[in-house]
Amino acid sequence: MLSIILLRLQRLKGEYHVFLIMTVLSLVFSFIFGMTQSQDFTPTVLIVDMDESTYSQMVIDEFKNDNTFRYSVANYDAAATQVEDGKVLASIVIYEGFDTDIRNNNIPSIGVIKTKEDRDIFTLNSIVANITSKVIGNTNIAEIASIYVSELADADKDTLFDKAYNMAVEDWRYKKPVFIEASTLEQGAGFSDDNLTHSIIGFSLFFSMYTIVFAIGEILNDRKNNTWQRVLVSPISKISILGGHLVVTFLIGLVQVSVLFISGRYLFDINFGVNLGVILLILSAFVFTVTSLGLFLSGIVKTHSQLAAMTPIILTGTSMLGGCMWPLEIVNNKIVLALANITPQKWAIQAMESIAIHGKGLNEVVFPALVLTVMGLIFFGLGVKLVRFE
Amino acid sequence: MTLLQISNLQKYYKDVNAVDSISFDVKKGEVFGLLGPNGAGKSTTISMISTLIKPTSGQITYNGESILENPKAIQQKLGVVPQEIALYPSLSGYENLKFWGHSYGLRGNELKNRIAEVAEIIGLKDRLKKKIEKYSGGMKRRINIGAALLHKPELLIMDEPTVGIDPQSRNHILETVLELNKQGMTIIYTSHYMEEVEFLCSRISIMDKGEIIASGTQEELIEIVKGQKKINLKFDRITKELTEKINSISYVQNIDTQDEEMVLATQNGDNIFKDLISKVSETDSNILSIDIKKPNLEAVFLHLTGRALRD
Repeated sequence: MLSIILLRLQRLKGEYHVFLIMTVLSLVFSFIFGMTQSQDFTPTVLIVDMDESTYSQMVIDEFKNDNTFRYSVANYDAAATQVEDGKVLASIVIYEGFDTDIRNNNIPSIGVIKTKEDRDIFTLNSIVANITSKVIGNTNIAEIASIYVSELADADKDTLFDKAYNMAVEDWRYKKPVFIEASTLEQGAGFSDDNLTHSIIGFSLFFSMYTIVFAIGEILNDRKNNTWQRVLVSPISKISILGGHLVVTFLIGLVQVSVLFISGRYLFDINFGVNLGVILLILSAFVFTVTSLGLFLSGIVKTHSQLAAMTPIILTGTSMLGGCMWPLEIVNNKIVLALANITPQKWAIQAMESIAIHGKGLNEVVFPALVLTVMGLIFFGLGVKLVRFE
Repeated sequence: MTLLQISNLQKYYKDVNAVDSISFDVKKGEVFGLLGPNGAGKSTTISMISTLIKPTSGQITYNGESILENPKAIQQKLGVVPQEIALYPSLSGYENLKFWGHSYGLRGNELKNRIAEVAEIIGLKDRLKKKIEKYSGGMKRRINIGAALLHKPELLIMDEPTVGIDPQSRNHILETVLELNKQGMTIIYTSHYMEEVEFLCSRISIMDKGEIIASGTQEELIEIVKGQKKINLKFDRITKELTEKINSISYVQNIDTQDEEMVLATQNGDNIFKDLISKVSETDSNILSIDIKKPNLEAVFLHLTGRALRD
């Protein structure tokens, strides 16, 4: 095995610049994608007021007090065009008759023009429902109050309604009947930018997989150069030949992911927590799994070109499924979530995040590490079976 | 003394019978030749002897021990020069030799000294610093041979070691083979170049379509075609009529044509020139050259298969 390890290191020495370029590019792209996904971007929502009533104005005022999105008023055509062109997230349309619907206690005519269904649209729908309910509630309160007071005192009912409505609104604003206190569980210092941390973890694992798979795929180049066959007729055993390739690939992979994470820590000030030993453990399990996956893929294909064609499809697909590109928390599809469980990336990210973002310790990563190891052993067994020793 | 014994060796690839029940033995200290055209099954046979592939059936023994049951019995004592260049292109000649020596258990000064000796043998002393990808074809071939010599193998298998190289490198390789044999190394040499096998080998097996069609010393093999002549003819054009006319000459036993060349195997005839020229003159073809050769292994192959031993 020593001969093969020394050989691979010697070859790596001659091609170290490739390793360096791969590592630097991985780091740059991880950071770019991470920054893109963590930017504080507020989507714009247009409001079309076709009713142009007092009630519709009340609703518009309520929207403008909401900070989740940026709201502005537009006409219907402009709103529809901008949604279609993707320039705004969506448009809220307050249809004609909104006023009457509220007065008659009917469901008010309000709709949302959208071109997609995502997390932001889901949030917007929820805000529209809340604000509409709130306006209806306040209106009812003001209506009842104005009728009641005007019967007691000989006062103008409309003036009383306005005063009662404004008071209700003010009361909601400053003396909410239900008070929800939202707080973030603080697990230690420096866990503020979860999105960037997730992206750096996800993309670092994603890019490092390429290095690992292609490093073990060198056995296909050896076959093409006929050196694989020549080594097989030497006294080096098959176990030692494979072992040598696997050990060096594992080391290359581990060094690269470690460099990526260390660079993230010191160049971009990303905190991966304090459990560095546990992080190294989960990284080792991940690199082992991907090395074995690379062996398995090298066993399936016949040439390095075939491996080069197949690898991006498999790695990108499983990385998307496994949550390297975005957090799995935003995925609702049960099939996708179930499929994520069979990707190594999902378990590695889960374990890494539980350490880096939630500040957990060894106990939280034992199960993901075990899953990764079992996956690695399965790929290893299949790889050994499929790799051609003739 | 028999060093290597091959008995009823067979290798099937799905429906293709690449090697069909062949048997031969290699004696210690000889240069044994496996002669045959491309696709005859020589490389498959070599791959089975060198433990790279397992035979479908049959037996291979080295020094009386089955290498199918115990591949280690031969691996340390065997040097293999594969037909294709089997070197790491991004490493230098020296680094390649170092790795192959290391893989056969050589270490430290022993390895260093042996690399120097092998560099001398293959004629590349002081020329090992370049990367393999920068060497010429002939130099790569020499390093390819050198890599098999580092551990001083008892048996050296050379599979078509001179394919695609310049005459100078080819001569150097042939001289090297003879020199190694003089030093006591047993060699199995496969080639489709009849001249190389005639030059090097004391005993020869001729292979075709997976079978051994003849075995023996050169003299024994040539005895098969005793009394025959091999005539190489070159025409300006070869037509069906021409082939039929020549075939009608009673002592012409075999005709093999390729492009404008025709190879005839004939029994000695007193009027061979006269008859040939007479027949050709009856056609539109013209003879450009005639070359009559003494019986050799090419004639043996032609006699046994009806085909010339070409690439």
